[in-house]
Amino acid sequence: MKKLLLVSLCFLMLSITQVFAQNRTVTGTVKAKDDGLPIPGVTVKIKGTSIGTQTDNAGKYSLVVPNGSTLVFSFIGYTTQQLTPGGAVVNVTLSSSSNQLGEVVVTGALGIKKQAREVAYATTRITGANADQTNVINPINGLTGKVAGLVIQQTNDGIDPSIKVNLRGSRSLLGNNNALFVLDGVPVSSSVIASLNPNDIADYNILNGSGAAALYGSEASNGAIIITTKKGTADGKPVIIYTNSLQLQQVANLPKTQSSYGQYGGEGNYSLVGFPASTNFIDPITGYGKFVPYENELWGPAFNGETVTEGHYQPGGSGALLTVPYTAQKTNPVKAFFQTGVTEQNDINYAQGDNKNSFNFDIQDAHVKGILPEDASDRISTRLGVSRTYGIFRIDLNTNYTRNTISTTGGLDYIGNNNLYANLLQFPANLNINAPYFKDVNADSNAAGSWGTPSNYFSGYSTNPWWTVENNRTNIQRDIFSGNMLLTLTPTKWLDAAYRVSDYFGTFNEKNTVAGVIFEPYAINDGFAQDFGLDPTSFPNGIAPRVTDISGYGDGTASIVNTAGAIPNFIPGNGTGMARLQGDATLNFHHKFNDWNTSLLIGNTIWEEKMNYTYDSEERLLVPGLYNQLYNEQTPTLYTATGTIRQVDFFGDLNVGYKDWAFLEATLRNDQDSRLAPSVNSFWYPSVKLSVIPTDIFPTLKSNVLDYMKLYVDDSRVGQVSLPPYSINPTFEITSGFPFSGLSGLGTSGTLYPPGLKPEQITEIEGGIDLGLFNDRINVKGDFYNTKSRNQTLSITTSPATGYNNSVINAGEVQNQGVEFSANAIVFQKGANSIGWSVGGNVSYNTNKVVSLIGNQKQLTLGSTANGQADIDAVVGKSYPQIFTTDFIRDPQGHEVVDPVLGTGTVSPTLVDEGGATPKVNLGLNTGLSYKFVTLNIVAEYRGGSIIYNGIGPEMTFAGSDYFSSQAGRSIFIVPNSVLETSPGVYVKNTTVPTFNGGLNYWVEPGSPSTVGSTYVTSADFWKIREVSLDFKLDQFINKTGVIKGLTLGLDARNLFTFLPKSEMWGDPELSDASTSVSSGNATGASNSAANSSNYQLPSSRYFGAKLQVTF
Amino acid sequence: MKKLTLIITILTAIGISSCKKGFLDESVNPNAPGTTTLASSLTSAEKGAADIVNGWGSYTLTNWVYSPYAVWGGYWIQNPSGYISDALFTQYSIQTNTLNFPWTDLYQNLSNINIMQVNSTTVTPNPNYEAIALVLKAYDFEQLVDNYNNVPYSQAFQGVSNLTPAYDSGASIYADLIKQMDNAIKLINTAAAANPDVTPGSDDIIFQGNMTNWKKFANTMKLRLILRQSNTSGFSAIAADLASTASEGYLDGTTQATAQPGYVLGDAFGGQESPFYLNYGLRPNGSTTLYGNDYYLANQFCVNLMNGFSDTSRLIKFYATVDGSNDPTQVIGAFNGSTNIPAALSKIGPGLLNATAPAVLFSGAESLFLQAEAANRGLISGSAVTYYDAGITASFEALGLTDAQAAAYYGQPSTQLGAYGDHTILASIIVQKYIALNGYGAFEAYNEYRRTGYPAIPRSQNTAALGSSTGGASGIGQLPSRIFYPQIEYSTNPAAVAAQPAATVENEFTSLIFWAKQY
Repeated sequence: MKKLLLVSLCFLMLSITQVFAQNRTVTGTVKAKDDGLPIPGVTVKIKGTSIGTQTDNAGKYSLVVPNGSTLVFSFIGYTTQQLTPGGAVVNVTLSSSSNQLGEVVVTGALGIKKQAREVAYATTRITGANADQTNVINPINGLTGKVAGLVIQQTNDGIDPSIKVNLRGSRSLLGNNNALFVLDGVPVSSSVIASLNPNDIADYNILNGSGAAALYGSEASNGAIIITTKKGTADGKPVIIYTNSLQLQQVANLPKTQSSYGQYGGEGNYSLVGFPASTNFIDPITGYGKFVPYENELWGPAFNGETVTEGHYQPGGSGALLTVPYTAQKTNPVKAFFQTGVTEQNDINYAQGDNKNSFNFDIQDAHVKGILPEDASDRISTRLGVSRTYGIFRIDLNTNYTRNTISTTGGLDYIGNNNLYANLLQFPANLNINAPYFKDVNADSNAAGSWGTPSNYFSGYSTNPWWTVENNRTNIQRDIFSGNMLLTLTPTKWLDAAYRVSDYFGTFNEKNTVAGVIFEPYAINDGFAQDFGLDPTSFPNGIAPRVTDISGYGDGTASIVNTAGAIPNFIPGNGTGMARLQGDATLNFHHKFNDWNTSLLIGNTIWEEKMNYTYDSEERLLVPGLYNQLYNEQTPTLYTATGTIRQVDFFGDLNVGYKDWAFLEATLRNDQDSRLAPSVNSFWYPSVKLSVIPTDIFPTLKSNVLDYMKLYVDDSRVGQVSLPPYSINPTFEITSGFPFSGLSGLGTSGTLYPPGLKPEQITEIEGGIDLGLFNDRINVKGDFYNTKSRNQTLSITTSPATGYNNSVINAGEVQNQGVEFSANAIVFQKGANSIGWSVGGNVSYNTNKVVSLIGNQKQLTLGSTANGQADIDAVVGKSYPQIFTTDFIRDPQGHEVVDPVLGTGTVSPTLVDEGGATPKVNLGLNTGLSYKFVTLNIVAEYRGGSIIYNGIGPEMTFAGSDYFSSQAGRSIFIVPNSVLETSPGVYVKNTTVPTFNGGLNYWVEPGSPSTVGSTYVTSADFWKIREVSLDFKLDQFINKTGVIKGLTLGLDARNLFTFLPKSEMWGDPELSDASTSVSSGNATGASNSAANSSNYQLPSSRYFGAKLQVTF
Repeated sequence: MKKLTLIITILTAIGISSCKKGFLDESVNPNAPGTTTLASSLTSAEKGAADIVNGWGSYTLTNWVYSPYAVWGGYWIQNPSGYISDALFTQYSIQTNTLNFPWTDLYQNLSNINIMQVNSTTVTPNPNYEAIALVLKAYDFEQLVDNYNNVPYSQAFQGVSNLTPAYDSGASIYADLIKQMDNAIKLINTAAAANPDVTPGSDDIIFQGNMTNWKKFANTMKLRLILRQSNTSGFSAIAADLASTASEGYLDGTTQATAQPGYVLGDAFGGQESPFYLNYGLRPNGSTTLYGNDYYLANQFCVNLMNGFSDTSRLIKFYATVDGSNDPTQVIGAFNGSTNIPAALSKIGPGLLNATAPAVLFSGAESLFLQAEAANRGLISGSAVTYYDAGITASFEALGLTDAQAAAYYGQPSTQLGAYGDHTILASIIVQKYIALNGYGAFEAYNEYRRTGYPAIPRSQNTAALGSSTGGASGIGQLPSRIFYPQIEYSTNPAAVAAQPAATVENEFTSLIFWAKQY
């Protein structure tokens, strides 16, 4: 269809005169290099004349050519080719052009292709190959740093990493801010994209603004990423490509740890509570803590090389305690524990086709061995894309099926207290975490040297990380199917009619099993067992095994599962978590009236999303090793939910072009959404866009410097429904304790959803310029935008006296303003076997501002970190989200005011505004260098202008494992930049009063730095060398007549270097999976955390790999 | 053009036909009920009301709702060892975010009662349910006034149409609640005359649909609401209203307002034990709740008070002996905030900790002591002594003790009316009520202390305790006279709460509930 559209454009634009001459007739077929399909409408001219013809629907041409003349093959969007016919048949393959700015073909809404000159909004095209230079698993990762305004944030790493994709800032306070993904013309969930094989993707078109995507309706209000998959070949010959890549993954940017001090927890000072001083773990002479061998906190004395015994002073089974030197291991345990991950991908692609048929089949296996011991993931994807044309009828079919199985370490340990990473951060540096006795967690506790078992593990207050690895497993299986079928009918020149039906659905099955623990009698009173209680009924002196099962139907993720209650945890918008069935019907009329080129698209979309899940978690299993909920001594904890969203949409899109240099587009769309009350569920929104090509209006503008200029402006409006389904009517909940014998009790859910809720409304004004300079060797694009999002759907806390604790209301406005620039230059145009060099860059600057909230309210707290040190707020006049933390009392200049005796600060009760969590500046730089058959590509990225609250910090300081709290050598010191208040309001620089203590008492006790959020606020700026790839294209060394027709070898590295500010010693600020109560994840960027929760964050990684590609 | 029209028509037809009626109607939530029945609302509201007064906030899932009153009021102390001593108890140090629970829980429960009331008048009219709603509303609203004084009443429960409800004065709320009790009685009488069979059944976990008992509950609520205002200037006029419903009778030892949905010892559904036990007892697996079995221990004040009356049989019911025996000398307490802590202290006793016992909302003993006071004031007929003795008997019976034990107890000279403290009859009645209210009635006992100054509860011995050591209700030193409005009001309803006494230490001790004794 895209070619038919182009054909019609060609017919209309070109004036062809076919002149008959002597000499011979040359025939042939013109095909596209990228997909191998024939190109209809290619102009074939005899050079230097006006004699020529056009290819027909099958890409065939026939032309009478004088001897010795040269044929010129030209077509919009493709590089012009010249050939002197040697025989009667001249077949030509045209490669698509990325240089001729105005002629680049852009895929827009509904898969409709347009020339770039017609497009009046910011858009960027990235080829599939360009995005997959470093063999990413999730295709979207490959776009990082390559598109102005596109921020891809990897929010967590590990075997099952998560990313967030945002264009032009956060528009919605509590609703969805993720870009819409469109695969082969239809919206899909991000999990469908994550399940795609990157090798299957032909290209990406990124539409930055909501206006660009106005035709996709409410779901595209955050911009869209349009992905087109590969097609078959067109020459009838099969092409088979085998690709193998192997990558090594290494943790990088670990939080900075100390390797100087051992265990002491501080509470050993028993004489303070009336016990004899001999029981103290305090050195009576120095006053410092002594080594306490069963502690999890690392506040003990400095390592001194002596021999110490580890563990509680209780007779272990063997009677012996672990004896080790009190000396740091060579490698810090946190680093030592992580292993090198290995990712191996094998891919076979088979493509075939002719001018009417296309066939493309791909199968890929991606196997990942994780950075955590025993973590593994296996993904098998198959894709089939076929198409066939019968006269005026064409059918395209694409299907994809992916199965992903993951085995990873589960969340909390057997006590339900800490996760693996938090336990790891409490491991002393003088012990070898990889010692066989720590790994053998299931040994007989009575056997000699079994120091890894729960009874014998040295720490009374933390769990052996190896126990968690071995006995706490989460196994996930995702099956995702996506497919779509497009029927196109072209009954006349001026009309295309199309109907598309598309579907994706997935199932997920997740099972977490935690083995039970039975403590030996001597270990029952060990810290943990005593503090957290045992399960005496079925597991005397132990903790019973646990199991959690989550299964459901949706998009293959468990993202909507609410483990806290019966109501689904819907993240509104973009169908996250849900399966989708959609039908689109479109009619596209196009006609040219003299200089006026017009087209009108009208269409209708109907979609439905569905999900259901069952969550079952049991904590008191009866039979060790049998993880079946039936064999459980408690009432089941069972949640089940189902949900449906439906939408019916009508839209129209009118395009008017004048003389190929002015283009006006107007769209109008109506959405009717099942989530809104019938009286308000239908809403309209329009957009108008205009682009002009001054270099064509005034040809005199063209010079040696400037050869192309486009100016554009648009004004659009989009609605967004930021509501979960079924949220316009109040519900009742079972009152706690019910059901009692035969009695039900229902009470209000406490949340009020007024029935008149309206969609959020986003208006955007955008303008921009595209320039082609120096014969298109330099392309410059720039744009500005101003987006206002009104009618925010806010869930606010209300006075319980209203009858409800929460209400959902429409209020507030958020503004995003910004500029985006990108420039690409070809420094050396690569000729045959010579040097080619290109450089490019993109930068975006976004200022996000909350314009208003509810009524006169100036601040709205949207969530807080689990430890309560930081709040995530929306503040009128500031960017969103804003981080507020607890802080010390400071003088007007911001110096910490310290106590004249203790030398320590005082915690201020007021939370302090620390800054915004969203980067203002995103900069990407790339360069490509090629010499003969070798190509080097480098992509670097910078993000700046945001801060992060490092939630992992207080956890590490508490454990005493951080470098931060050991900087002063655990000695007393004068708090830097502190002042003393000599009389009210008078402050003098503190040069005299050191802290009363340099150890745990100063750093950890209430009122200490670790209890104050501002301590852990740092800049979140970073530079990353995202991608380095070196490819050797060895085709020229291969005998083309053999079985092997092409060979490429490649080396690549991802996240090779990361540069962080010195103050950021807590790890990679990009990995900030906000562990806050902001449910929609809009506080991403606000906090990183090891977190005492089941969802914890791993350090970021760097990857090194190699690739082999063989074409048959 | 014909073709075009045709195509558009077809397309529109496809669009519209697939959009058949109801396609977008997905408003019915399949995951949670969108409606409730009178029966389900009633059961929930009754359990909720019983939960709160017994210390369990079943909405906020907070399990120490009224225990500060039990500590301040001399029944318990906080376990001084093993936990970081809490300034809330020993220093009276409270913040706006310290005691949010009664506010949120009471309004949530009231919201449910309100929904039931609305449904009982509009959706499925039923005057009996409406009457019960009025009684339960009065029960919960009285607690709100007694905790906070002025609270939203006339503008409450309006949802988004009024997100910032104004506060009504405590006195006006009391006045209306008294009227509503008359209304409730009237509704029940009218309903009985019209259709005697349409009553709640087992869903009424308090009286199983016995509407006569509901009238008694309403009438007793009225009695309490009126007597509470004994310090106010218009008291005699208010009290005159008692006569109009006196013939309906009051709760007594055989008719008590207790809730029993079928409490069992079990972890299921968030805990199915009787709410007092749920707070302070041991769970079936032997583990304790968050503030479990040994968080609160015996306060020497109450132990001494009871020993002063030789009240040994009830003492070992209210407090566990430290050696597990039945020897009342082994009930050992300590004074709140004391640094002189015996090695072993008594826990909450077996007479209170019964996982399957009905939860007390309004005990017969409390009602009888109210009647004793009313009779003494000449407001109702009967003899104060008879009611007083019956009140003591009801308290003994509730603990599984015999009438003979009760008779022996009230036969002592020290327990005679007028024998205690300042030798007023009121002092004897209130102090015997104080003993009877041990446990579930800590909040009511504290209310009566603030009204009458009896018994003479000592201040915390913590030298850092806030407030003055003289000038309290009893003349021996201040106890907190109120708790602060919760933080949620400051953030969601700031204008209304700003018009009320500020959350200052000064106000904690001097801002009085409107009925409180002036000092």
